[in-house]
This record gives sequence, C-alpha cells and structure tokens, in this order.
Amino acid sequence: MVRKILSARGPIKVLEKNITGGLGAGNLTVLASRKGVGKTACLVQIALDRLFEDKPVIHVSYASRVDYIISWYEEIFKKLVGKENLSAEMIVHDQIIRNRVIMNFRQEGMKTSQVLKSIEALIGPGNFQAKTIIVDGFNFYLPGFEDLSLFKQFAADNQLEIWFSCSLKGEEPLFDDQGLPKVLESYLGSIDVIITLEPDDSRVRLTLVKDHDQVLSKKLRLELDPQTLLLSPV
Amino acid sequence: MKTTLNRMRNIGISAHIDSGKTTLTERILYYCKKIHRIHEVKSKEGGGATMDYMELEHERGITITSATTNVSWNNHSINIIDTPGHVDFTIEVERSLRVLDGAILVLCSVGGVQSQTLTVDKQLKRYRVPTIAFINKLDRTGANPFKVQQQINEKLARRAALLQIPIGLEDKFQGLVDLIKMKAYYFDGPNGEIIQEEEIPPQLEDDAWKYREELLDTISLFSDELTEAILEGRVSEALLLKAIRQGTISREFTPILMGSAYRNKGIQLLLEAVVNYLPDPSEVENKALDLDREEQPVVLKADSALPCVAYAFKLEEGPYGQLTHLRIYQGSLKKGDELFNTRSRQKFKVGRVVRMHADHMEDIEGAEAGDIVALFGVDCASGDTICSPELNYALTSIYVPEPVISLAIEPADKLSADRLAKALARFTKEDPTFRMYLDPESRQTIIQGMGELHLDVYVERMRREYQVEVLTGPPQVAYRETITTRADFDYTHKKQTGGAGQFARVIGYIEPFEGSYEFVNQVKGGHIPREFIPSCDKGFQARLKKGVLIGSPVIGVRVVLTDGQFHPVDSSDIAFQAAAQGAFKEAYQKTKPKILEPIMRVVVETPSEFSGQVFSSLNQRRGIIISSIEDGTSSRIEAEVPLREMFGYSTVLRSMTQGRAEFTMEFLKYGQLPAFLAEQLLDQHRKKLEAEEKR
Repeated sequence: MVRKILSARGPIKVLEKNITGGLGAGNLTVLASRKGVGKTACLVQIALDRLFEDKPVIHVSYASRVDYIISWYEEIFKKLVGKENLSAEMIVHDQIIRNRVIMNFRQEGMKTSQVLKSIEALIGPGNFQAKTIIVDGFNFYLPGFEDLSLFKQFAADNQLEIWFSCSLKGEEPLFDDQGLPKVLESYLGSIDVIITLEPDDSRVRLTLVKDHDQVLSKKLRLELDPQTLLLSPV
Repeated sequence: MKTTLNRMRNIGISAHIDSGKTTLTERILYYCKKIHRIHEVKSKEGGGATMDYMELEHERGITITSATTNVSWNNHSINIIDTPGHVDFTIEVERSLRVLDGAILVLCSVGGVQSQTLTVDKQLKRYRVPTIAFINKLDRTGANPFKVQQQINEKLARRAALLQIPIGLEDKFQGLVDLIKMKAYYFDGPNGEIIQEEEIPPQLEDDAWKYREELLDTISLFSDELTEAILEGRVSEALLLKAIRQGTISREFTPILMGSAYRNKGIQLLLEAVVNYLPDPSEVENKALDLDREEQPVVLKADSALPCVAYAFKLEEGPYGQLTHLRIYQGSLKKGDELFNTRSRQKFKVGRVVRMHADHMEDIEGAEAGDIVALFGVDCASGDTICSPELNYALTSIYVPEPVISLAIEPADKLSADRLAKALARFTKEDPTFRMYLDPESRQTIIQGMGELHLDVYVERMRREYQVEVLTGPPQVAYRETITTRADFDYTHKKQTGGAGQFARVIGYIEPFEGSYEFVNQVKGGHIPREFIPSCDKGFQARLKKGVLIGSPVIGVRVVLTDGQFHPVDSSDIAFQAAAQGAFKEAYQKTKPKILEPIMRVVVETPSEFSGQVFSSLNQRRGIIISSIEDGTSSRIEAEVPLREMFGYSTVLRSMTQGRAEFTMEFLKYGQLPAFLAEQLLDQHRKKLEAEEKR
C-alpha cells in the first residue's frame, strides 16, 4: 500500500523537480488549457499528493457542485491505489476526508475579498491548518488583475501554495509568441508558475511556460493519460 | 357527499420550520369554510391555529403530529395532512408522504431553500410525490421570489417556473399576476376573501410577458404538444393547464406559486392549482406485496368494486379510544365490514368510520378507494396494512431509521408509574422511531429517539397529556461495538448434572463485516444436524445484543460456522444456543473489539459573516468539515460530527450567530471512538458492574 502511494506520488515529484524556483509555500501556479483536457484531474492529483502526506487541502470551486468534486477525488483515489488492501485503503481514505475541505462559491462575480475572508475564517487559529489551496473555475476572462494579486498576497501572508486552473477559450491563437496564454498576460505579475496542457497524439503533454522570472517552453517529462486521467512520467 | 375519484386530492404541506406552513393551512381551512375565524399560530388570545391541536405545539410554535383534515374546494374533496417541519420528526413526515398523492412545498421568500427544505425535498423525491412550490411571506422585508425560484432550480435541481409574479413586494405587496390567464388578482375584504380580477398594471406588463415566456420555454422542454402549439402560435389556457398538469404529475415540472398566507393573499389561487395540477388518486400508481406469492408486487387499482387494501399511517389515542388513520388504496370499506390486519393476522369488524377535521370529526357510513378516513377501536400499529380477509397484501414498509440517542427516565412519584407506562405504550405505537426498554441492570426505563428535541417533546407530552412528572438523566449516545480482526473459535458446551445432559460443539470463526450481521453455515457431513443450525445462529445473535466492552450491541460481524459435533441424545436447541454463545464470548476477546459512536451529518446554514465561528465550533466538536457553499450572503456548511459532541449545540449556535444560523443533523454512520474517550467509557462500565456486584 505504502509503496503504491509512493509510486503514485512519482509524477508530482517530477513536476516539483523541474521547477527551479520551487512550488511550495507562497507560490501561485496556474495550469492552463482548453476545456476538457484534464486540468481538474491534475489539480486533484496534486491535492491528493498533499493529502497522502496528511497535509490539509482546501479545494475552492467557483462552478462545480460539491458532490461532483468529491466524485473526482474518489475516482482518482481509486485509480491511484487500486483495491488491494481494503483496510489500509480505508485508513488513507479517512485521512483524505479529514484533511480536505471543499469550498464552493456559487455566485457569479463573487468578490475575491470575501472568498479570501471565508478561507481565512476556515484556516483561522486552532482551525483547519491548510497549506495548499486548489482554485478551480476562476474566470480569467473577466477583468480581475487585482483579484489575483489579492490571492498572491494571501499566499505570501499565510505561507500557502495556491494552484489555479485556467480554462482557455476563444479563437486561435490562444498563446503569444513566447508560448504564454494570451489571457494571462495581464496577470503575469501575480503568477509564479504557468504550466500548459496540450493534447499531443493520444497523450496530453505538460509544458512549463513560466518558471518564476523565466519565460520558457520546457516540455516536462510528464504526461496525462486521457483514458485514466492519471499523470505519469515520460 | 359522494366524490368521484377525479374530484379527490390527497395532499400534504411540507416545509421548513417557520416557513408559515401552519398559517397557510389555517387560511386554506378558512377559505374552504371549514372554520369561521382565522387564528394565528402564536396568537395572544390563546386560540392557536386550528391544525395544531396539541397544547404543546402552540407553546413551541411548531407542529408535531400530522393532523389530517378534509376540505372541499370548487367541488373537489381535498384531504390535507399537516406535516411537521423539524428533522427530528421526520418519521411523521415520511409516513404522511407515503399516503399522499401530491404536496405543496412551502418556502419562505426571504430564507429560500434552507437545509431543512433540502431534507423535505429529498423525502418528496424518495416517495415520488408530485409537488407544487409555494413561496410564502412575500410581505416580509427582503422578500425575493425570483431568487427563491433560482434556488429551487439549482439547489433542489427541480425544473420549475413561476406561474405568477408579485405586484409589489414587502410592505407594498398587493396582489399577483397570473401568467396563464395574464390577469392581475387582488385579494380584498377583511380576510382576503373577495378576489378582484383586473388588467395587469402597465408597469408590470413587460415583466409578465417575460416570465410567461420563461414558463412556456420550461414547459416546452417536456411537452411536445405545447412546443407545437407555440410554434403554430395557438397556445390556449386549456392547453397550458393540461401541459402543466401532465408535467407536475410525471414530476418533470414543479409549478411555483406565491403569496402571503399571513396577509391572506394568493391562497385561493394556490387551492385552484392544487385542483388543477396535483393528481387524483387514480393517477398515481401504488403497489402492494402479495404475501401469499413470495411478496410479488401487485399494482393496486383505485376501484371501489375490488377487495379493500388500506394502510394505517397514523394512530392517535383520543378520549374515545384509539383512532386509526387509514388511506384506502383499493376497494371500499364501510361500517360492519370485516377486515384483516396482515401483520398481526387478526380479523376485526369495522365500527365507527369518521372523516377528520382539524378539531372535530364527522361520522360517515363508509369510504372508497383513494380516500383518507379514520376508524375507531382498531387494534393495530402504524404502518400496518389492512385488507379484505380474502387478500394477504402488505404495502411496502416505509424506511424506519434506527434511534441514535437515549435517555433514562423515571416517574417523580410512584403513583404515576401506571400512567407513564400507558403514555410509553401509546407513543411507541404511534412513532416507530421512538422506542423504550427496561434496562435490567440499572432497572431504569430507557427511551430512545432521533435527537434531543424528539425526546424532549415526548417527555413534555407525558407531563401534559398524562400528568406524569418525569425525571430524566443526561442524554446517552447509542454506542456500538465491533470487531477488528478475525478470530477462530472451537467451543464445547457440556453439562452432566443429573437429568438429561447437554452437549454441543461449534467450530468456526468470526470476522469483520461491512453490514450489521451475517451468519454463514459451512458445516458439511452433518456434523451439526440441520435442525440445530438456526439454534447456533440464534445463540450468536443473543450475544451480539451486548458486547463485553461496554455492553453495547455489536455490529459488523460475520460468523462462519465450519464444523461441530453433536450427541444423539444430549444435543438440543438449548445446548447449541449455549455453545454458540460461549464460542462468541471466547472469540470476541481475541478480535480486538472497538467502540463505535454515531457520527451525524450536520448542515449549518448561516450568514457568511459567522462562518468563521461556525467552522471553529464544529472543529472543537471533533467535526470534520466536508464542504462550505457560499452564495454571497449565506453559507451552507456541511460537516461530520460525533453525536456526543452535539448536545446543546443549538444553544451555542444561536448565541454565536445572534440567532441567525440554524442547523439540521441526521445519522450518517458509526465511526470509531477515539481512545481517550473509549477509556472513559470502559472505566464507567467497569464501575457500574462493580457497583452492581456489591449490591
């Protein structure tokens, strides 16, 4: 069981090793792709990686219903650990539930200051000590530079790592000549790391396009299997 | 009055507590001329609303038991079941839902969909009850029916649309625009009994057409007939009514009406909608199980010529004896008929048949399929099926949850012990989630139920209705024990002390199991004769009732019997039972048994500014926060919290949030009790046993 979980964590370690400026506390990372490529699957795997280490995670969602998000976790979890050792699995599963809070903000255009206030209330003294926050469904197409800088400030103040997903939409080209998603241009000041997901033959390749001060186009030795939605090293 | 089937409605009014359900029922009775004066729920004059006939309910401003009442509106006979709104009384709600053909879901125009609404909505869906939504309290500050409609669509996942829009809101609420007739309605006279039909006020015309468009769009999603009519531009009132009715009955659509019961506005239109859109008894399919043919499902027909099948959904003990509320599904019954209770296997003659009104009853000769009536002097329990003697049907039993909390009670003086016994006998008959037993060790009477309030209400009722002062102990959580590993057993029961000897040997193992209990027989070669296998099962089960850790029932056990031995003369049922008991006791110690505690699913609904306090209050209670949903002003926080930490939470929550948050909880699962608490319980149990030994 333990070995299985360790092997499941392999891909995330690859990711962490490839980013020179680091990913941990205080950093804000964005995973960008068109809809349906696998951003949520990636985010859930990152969250599960932290949860396997018994580290609390807050999953913030602007769109999906809570039960939908929970089923994402359940599915990816099942695929990662298989069904071999029922009781050990149950213990890890309980640990995941204990360490995960899903926050759903329903209203279109919900103020970021209020979202952060709610998160702050949750991680307040003696409460839920999350160090990782996953933000799914944030709309980067609305003018929101200030919102993202508030998130960045929040990450720095509370020593949190924050992971965003960014759904790319509209007509090609979606990327500028440096390979950065056009929609993220105005946000670059607040974003530390950008990773894009691109379907390539029957696989989805992950590319590092921004690593702190560097803008680059580094194909990560990491891909997502569109069938299982699991990340694996290439 | 003989009512043909299509002019009959059996409806319930389901709602969140305090959404004004009782007030609404009161108005319905008034407009149907069942009562001649309107009383308010929390009135000072001491009248109290007619449906809340229990004194206690008046005091708490809530409705506890469901009173049935019959009214007529526009030549239709409507049976109304007033259902309680609090989650602790859900068995009442569930039993009423079982016999309903349709329901009005009342929502507050300010609070909208709240956690309790979700529970009630789930129940309506479980029993597949066609539903009309009624948004009440449009006169309140902050009323917003459009927001509530959106919540019905999103939170309840219902396909719903407005059939009306308000003329003015809050203190300017005057009347309603009907989007089908495209007319405005005002309710005049001291009690709103005079309805004025007028043209739509010009400032609302655009809105009215806009929402009518929305209504048509929604209906056309499931009605091809209407879609065609829209395309051809020939949408008529009759066609719309028909499409809405079909959609409501097939539960593809939820019509939304609105008004203010307190201000006497909109109620008559709601009654009109009940008649127009909710099904008559023949339009709902009901099934029974044929006990003579291995419980094969049989479809019941609302035909009065067929043999009778009825369901006893509620018992009441009145001054004239026991009253049994029945829903007749098939056939008819009248005075003097012979009927058969398929559970108790007893036949009885029908005595008095009455139709219930909120506070009085009317004697009738008999009743037919589809109707709801009450019988006098029938000995049965709620949930029983009553048939003509030639049938042996059971209506599918409704889901009854296990009690999670218990309380030791004793009468304050010896003289009232008799009355207490009477009260308990009646309550347990009326409410399957309320149970009682005598603890042989402490010699205390223990009552069990679904929550603190549930038991509180019964203690209060003992006081009021039976004049029994009871002393109560602190509430106790219903713990369980379980095993964590597999353990083998090989046990011989042998007794040779004069007379016939006893001999039995059982071999096998016990192991953890996901359900509650399973018995597997793998004995081969007749080492244990077949007739003694059930004895073994019985012996094991007897042991499960009381674990050795703290004397709580044991769950999650599979017993596998692999081998054994018997003696042609000395083996008996008793011997094998004793062997099984001994074997279990022996093996149980080796399985590292653990104590389990009930974990509740708690949902707190709070204004967002208090969510921080709510989070920490749940954390302090060993709660696990599962999710938090925020929609701008309010938050819905879902958590899993051990029941033993939840005592008194309502007071804490109220004072923490200035009374603006509320919560519901229901049993979710059993979870392992943390070691430090388990230690305490084990210690208590040890002391209790020692004390008994000394005695």
